[in-house]
Parts: sequence; structure tokens; C-alpha cells
Amino acid sequence: MSSVAPVAVTGIGVVTPLGDSPASLMDALSAGRSSVRTLASPAPVAGSPLTDFDATRYANVRGMRIYNRATRLGISATRLALQDAGLDNAGFPAERLGVVMAGTYAHLDTLVEYDRSLVTQGPSRTNPALMPLAIPSAPGAVIALSFGAKACSVTLADGGAGGIDALGLGARLVRSGRVGACVVVSALAFFDELVLSAARAGALTTTDHFHVFDRRSRGTAFGEAGAALVLESVTAARSRGAKSKGALLAQTSTFCRTDDGLPEALGRAADKALAASDTDGATLRLCSSGANGTRAVDEAEARALLRVLGSTAGQTAVTAIKANLGDTLDTAGLLQTMVAMAALSGSPAPAVVGLSEAMVPGLGYLTAATQVGPGRALVTATSRTGACSALVVCGDTEP
Amino acid sequence: MARRVVITGCGVISAGGNDLDSLWDSLISGKSLIGTVTNFACPEMESLQGAEATLPAAELGDPDIDSFVGRCGLLALAAARRALANAGLDVGHVALADAGVVVGTTMAEERQVGQLSERWAAQGPDAIDGGFLARADNHGLAASIAARFGMGGPVLLNATACSSGNAAIAWGYDSIADGAAEVMLTGGADTFTRSLFCGFARMSALSKTICKPFDERRDGVSFGEGAGMLVLEELEHARARGATVLAEVVGYGLSNDAHHVTAPEPNGAGFVRAIEQALASSGTSADRVDYICAHGTGTQYNDQGEVRAVKTVFGERAVRIPISSIKATIGHTNGAAASLAAIACVLALARQMVPPTANLSQPDPEFGMDFIMHRGRPVELSTCLNMSAGFGGANACLLLARAP
Repeated sequence: MSSVAPVAVTGIGVVTPLGDSPASLMDALSAGRSSVRTLASPAPVAGSPLTDFDATRYANVRGMRIYNRATRLGISATRLALQDAGLDNAGFPAERLGVVMAGTYAHLDTLVEYDRSLVTQGPSRTNPALMPLAIPSAPGAVIALSFGAKACSVTLADGGAGGIDALGLGARLVRSGRVGACVVVSALAFFDELVLSAARAGALTTTDHFHVFDRRSRGTAFGEAGAALVLESVTAARSRGAKSKGALLAQTSTFCRTDDGLPEALGRAADKALAASDTDGATLRLCSSGANGTRAVDEAEARALLRVLGSTAGQTAVTAIKANLGDTLDTAGLLQTMVAMAALSGSPAPAVVGLSEAMVPGLGYLTAATQVGPGRALVTATSRTGACSALVVCGDTEP
Repeated sequence: MARRVVITGCGVISAGGNDLDSLWDSLISGKSLIGTVTNFACPEMESLQGAEATLPAAELGDPDIDSFVGRCGLLALAAARRALANAGLDVGHVALADAGVVVGTTMAEERQVGQLSERWAAQGPDAIDGGFLARADNHGLAASIAARFGMGGPVLLNATACSSGNAAIAWGYDSIADGAAEVMLTGGADTFTRSLFCGFARMSALSKTICKPFDERRDGVSFGEGAGMLVLEELEHARARGATVLAEVVGYGLSNDAHHVTAPEPNGAGFVRAIEQALASSGTSADRVDYICAHGTGTQYNDQGEVRAVKTVFGERAVRIPISSIKATIGHTNGAAASLAAIACVLALARQMVPPTANLSQPDPEFGMDFIMHRGRPVELSTCLNMSAGFGGANACLLLARAP
């Protein structure tokens, strides 16, 4: 018996270069497709850009034109998730709908634009509407405003671990009854400062050298995407006849100050999440890893899983969708969770595309799309600053 | 049996002082510490008025600290150091190994962007260096604290604008209440930035004189900088290690106006829901609230909506509940504001006295509340309500009670 109540995922919205529905994305991932290519600008590094994105195809909200790309991605994903959950029409009380945004850099291009205009044009010539959109909480607040969510509007900025942290916070708000339904949303959009700074730091590699979990990898690639999950209590979902896509069972966060300590810290988070959800080697079918091609991250993910899985390490399927979509930072945790729940619900779990020489042998890295069957999945992530997060989920057959 | 969450340490960095006694003396004096800003220049504006904090030289640049930490991070670190010391939790204490950190902020290290803008004007895209992204990563605020003090639990950066401090305390409270942690260091930090001053001035929300919350002459906010951090701890854990319990966190409430990107909901309906959730979730009767530490920014609409919300929730008793805002004393410290106000509540509960609203001498006749003015007032206190709101409509209210 789990020590915490499961929280149902009743809606999923994704806007990615490989599809804008969970089904089309899973098909592309299962087919081994990757959207990582050489960016045309602002630097010739590997990246996964979202081309031809038009937010008005997904939602028609006031002010869309002035919102930055990440906010528009978040609005689009939220609209899709609410539609999927059957909550897009009037009827669900606005006072019970909350938004938790995972967005470390979602505001940053607006802030850069606004502050630069203050310096180059002077305060009297700047667009006053930009300032309130330039603060870190703005994208989440705008999304909540766009959909009339009055229960809460919260933003976490925890870097790569932020998506899973946000799911944990959303689940906690649902369990406590503070919100009736919680949209957990995240988006990453490219802008010059993001890509150029990471490229100049040597963090981004070229397409030839981007391989996840692979000893040949020389760095990571960023990816653009928006994702949103609607969380509700299992009871509430059932009472309104909503179909659950899966459930969040337990989430834990830890921290370690150094790269050397990351495997232990991530392993500790995973141990706690598995224990809190009463998940063992017999029920754990899949690990949906946050490995991103960066040596320290991939090694931490692999060594943590090796220790946590123990004798079942070689038999437990491991996938890492950043190989297909690039590292979407906070958003990745939501996408990894979506993939894990889909795989536990009957879709093939995607292979780790491009993996041929495992940096850390001994794990059950998927080399082809594979049916993993019903059970549990472990979703893991780390941030550059040392935050680690782990989440255990199930598919649509449990609870 | 529900786990009770208590406060065992507080640390402050503010214009009112860098220790609890100094802050308290400043607050109850009724004097405003808002003046001409000297430690931050904004060439785009002629003169900046604000309440600036002074960090000891030894804390301005610690070689042990991550080189990516800017002034906001230094303020947070300094407040964290004081909170942990106040709680008797030195570096290496066994209780810190699994302890977590939640820091709330409105602008965080925005000055990093400001510096980039200035380099950009001269260099264009070449100004973007490899360290910019790391310096602009707001999670560094919380991570640097956890790294500095050897904390291995959840480390979160919460951004809910100017209600961030209360929300951060709320996440810490939940982590302890549901058994995920025994000790959480929570609070908020913010410093002066160009976009805040210029943006608020452009929106006519920056006071042209000085912040005067609830006064009929009020004309906007005056900014402050600072940090307030609180050590939250499970009650039995605190007792077992012999810690002094300063106050208890009994509950919190959240809401979102979903009304406008900047303007609060005029009738305070969002605030009403947050207060009611705080009362309901803690099983506290509205009759037990005997002090309200208001958000009280000094803008026309915030103060109006806040008073209307208090009247809605507390009915005819509202006009008899002592209420004040500390923002006219130490400025509006944005992401730190609610946590510094929470610390003011902790001090008020311990000293059985409530601080006044500085600069308030002609209360808006529409309000008719029991505003504390001019100097602190002795009051028999058992429960305080700490209210906060932020851009975008995010409201967070905290209920604090006298130490059990």
C-alpha cells in the first residue's frame, strides 16, 4: 500500500517538433525519429527547434501577440491538456482550477528585451506592457489568467529538475484539496541569449557528437517544446467520468552540491520515491531518464539507476527521450512523465536513439521500441545547480 | 496525528537592520527608512528612493561561495546564515543533511540581465558570455544556500511575484507536515533592479513622494531590498534537540485573481479565498485572528482591495482587528516582503506588541480600520494573519500562532 494517495493525470497537452498530441509524439518516438539538427542561428550547434509554431492554431486568448514564445507554447499546451481532460468548457469552477508552471528561463527573453530597451531607448520609450511580463512568474501568471484559473498560480524555477518538482507540487496541492484540478505546465523556447550563452560555455555540441548515455557524446542540445498535464484526485476524476491517462504515485527531491555527489543524491531521491509508492523491482517496468548527452548528467543518471535497481538493473528498460527531442530543461520532466505513462498503458517505450557505446554499462538501455507492459515507471531528472528529482508513475490500468 | 510545524530560527537582512532586535526596534519606532538610494544607480532615472540594506563587508564576497551568486543571492545567503544560527543549526549539524531550502523571489538576479544590457549596447551579441545563463538561473539563489550549508533535501526556487515569501514558507510547511522533511529553510530575497524602478515609474505605481499605506494621500510603492529566512521544523524534532520554538505555522491559503496582469481584483475576492483557505485548512476560527500584517503596498488599488477582503472575511469585527504594513518602514522588498512580514509576526507574537504603519497619518476614510499608527502597540496576541499578493494576481496568506 502506497504511503501517499495517487493523483490521476486526466489530460495531456504537448507541442513538440515530433508531434502535438501524445499519440503522434509516441508514434514518432517509437519510430526512432529525432528532431535534433544543426541550428541555422544563432550558432551552428545541435538543437531541436519547433518550426512553424503558431499559437493561434491552439488557443485564442487576449494579449497573445505580446506574449513571448515560451508563454505562447505554455498556453497552447495548456489548452490541449484541458481539452484532453474535458475541462475546456465552462462548468468546472474557476476557483478550483490551479496552475503550476515550471519555467526557469520562460520569462528571460522578455526581460532581456525590456531591460535592453531601457538602456538603448530610455524608460519613456519602452513598452510599459513588457515590464510585468518580464518577471519570472509572468508566464505562469499569464497562463492562469488566460484560462481563468483562480485556485493558484505558482512558478517553480528549478532548472532541469523543475518539471518533476512542479508535478510533485501540483500533486500535493491536489491531495490537500487546495485545488480541484491543477494544470502543471512548462515550456522552453529558443532565444539568442539562451543558445549563445550555452554554446559559448561549451555545453552545446554538434549533431555528430550528440548522443545520450553514450561515451562518444560531447555535450547536449536544447529542444523547444511545451507540455502540460492536468492533475486531479482519483475520486474527482472518476466522479466526473474523466478517463485517467495514468497517475502520479510519489515524488521526491534532493540536492547535492557537486557533480561527484549527483549519483548519490539522485539515487536517494529515487529510493525515497520508490519506497513511498511501494514500488519494487518486480513492478518497475521502465526508467524514463533525464540523461541529456552531458557527461556529468548522463553518468549521474546511469550510476544512480544502477545502484537503485541493483540486481534488476539489466532487466529494467531505460529510455531517454532527450535523444529525440533535445533537452527541453524544465519541460523535459513533463514529457518524460507522459512517455512513461503511455508506455505503461500500451504504447511501445522508445529506444535511446543513437546509443551504441554506453558510457556506463549494465543498464537495460532500450535499443528498439519495446512493449514494457503495465506496472510502474521511474522518472528522473537533475538540474545544473544540483537539484535532483524522482517521480514514480503508473499507467491507465492502475489504480 | 498531524505533524505540527514550528519556527525555530529567523534571519533578516533589511534596511531595518541585520538582526532581529534591530529590525524590531526599527519597525516599532514608526520611522521610515526610505531615503535616497546610494548603493544602486539607475542612470535612466534621476534619483532613486528606497530602503537599502547594508551587508557587512565580510559577506559581500566569500571565496567559498559560488562565483555566480549576485547581490540577491548574497542577501539570501546572509539571511540564511543568520536564521540557521538563530535556530542553533551550525554547518555540519546532522539535521541539515536532509533539510531543504525554498527561496521565493520576484526579480532574483535580474541585475545580471542589466549588466548584459549595458555590455550589449557596446558589443552587441558578443556581450553574451558563457556564464550568463548560469548567472541568470534563479535556482542558484536556493542552490547556493543549500551548497553553503550542506543541505541535501528538496531545494526549490519559488516565483509567485511579491507573494513569493509566503508561498515559499507554505511549501516548506507542506514538506514538513506531510513527512517529507523535518527541517526546511524558507523565505525570500530581492534587491533593487532597473526594470523594477523604471517599470513601476512608467506604470505610475512608484511613489513620487514616499510609500504611505492606507493613507488617503498614498501614491504608490517605495522599494526596499533585503531577505528574510525562517527555519521551519517539525515540533517534536525541535523539542528533541532542545531548540527554542519561536512561533507555529498553523496554515496557509493560496488563490489567484485571474483578473489582470498587474491590477488586483478590486473587491479583494482573491484575497478572501486565500484567507478563508488559510483559516479552514488550519481549523482556525476567524475570531482567533488578533493581528493582520497587511500586504499594504501603498498603491490605491492594492490597499483598497485588501481592506475590502478583510471586511468580507471578518465582518463587523474587521474594524477592531489591529492591522499594519511594514512596507513604509523597510520598503517593499518584493520577493522578500512576505517573509520579512512573517518574521515581523513572529517577533510580534513573542513580544506581544504590533508594529505601526510608518508614514500613515490620514487613513483613507473609506477604510475605517484599526490601523496601528506612529508607534508600536502592546496587544495580547495568539494568532497573526500575514497577507501577501503579487503581480499576476497570486495571493498567499499565512497564519502564525504563538509558540506552543
